[in-house]
Amino acid sequence: MPIFRWEQSWNPLRDLEREVDRLVQGVEFSVQGIRMPRQYPAVNIFELDHEYLITAELPGMLAEDLELTIANSVLTLKGHRNPPVIADGEISEERFRRQERTFGEWQRSISIPDRISEEQLSAEFNEGVLKIHLPKLEEELPRQIPVSSGE
Amino acid sequence: MNRQNSNEEQREIAHPGQFVFTPPIDIYETEAGLVLYADLPGVSVGSLELQVQDNKLTLLGKVEPQIPEGARPLHQEYEVGNYLRSFILSGEIVHSEIEAKLANGVLRIFLPKAPKAEPRRIQVNTG
Repeated sequence: MPIFRWEQSWNPLRDLEREVDRLVQGVEFSVQGIRMPRQYPAVNIFELDHEYLITAELPGMLAEDLELTIANSVLTLKGHRNPPVIADGEISEERFRRQERTFGEWQRSISIPDRISEEQLSAEFNEGVLKIHLPKLEEELPRQIPVSSGE
Repeated sequence: MNRQNSNEEQREIAHPGQFVFTPPIDIYETEAGLVLYADLPGVSVGSLELQVQDNKLTLLGKVEPQIPEGARPLHQEYEVGNYLRSFILSGEIVHSEIEAKLANGVLRIFLPKAPKAEPRRIQVNTG
């Protein structure tokens, strides 16, 4: 059984987030919708036998527009999404029938457990889906202990 | 060009426990036609279906599971599912010349307009 549980390292962050939310909600904002309802990008985190896996959907971005850094057990994802280069030149607002997609710069930090081999961290980006692999440290992996008979 | 998501379609492709999403889109008009962009992260060329039938353009993007089997979810902020959206095309769109391209999880569809017919002078003869 793993002794470390992600939830434990996660919770202080959550508590802080909740606390900030509570404080912010107590303040009367004259402009509504000034706060982002949730962080971008949304991430999913999974645990596998040998690694943790973080996934995020980032359609329309290129691998070179993404920047991943890790320091002090905090993984920071940073990037920008440019509107498509339009062959027809600049498209004026009134030409748009519908605009639902968003563009611009974004950044998100995720605290990760200590027991990660930071040097072996790897990421892949395919079809607009980012996958970050966080391999567990060797000593965290289950180890077979050989049992010899007492002869 | 109106969005027309019918519930029947939703049911048709949604298997139990699977999500179906309406992808966000941009549409703009140029002299030559309409350009449509849709965000479809996780959809590959092989799993995307585009269909035009009776003035209705339907896009269906099927998403393969993003994670290996046996992965235990620790924290989940988004769901993974298929994408479905359909549009009613105006009469001026030339169906046979619709072009589509998928790159980095974004679909671009070009819907060309039929060239306007040149005004034709009709000779009026006296009886």
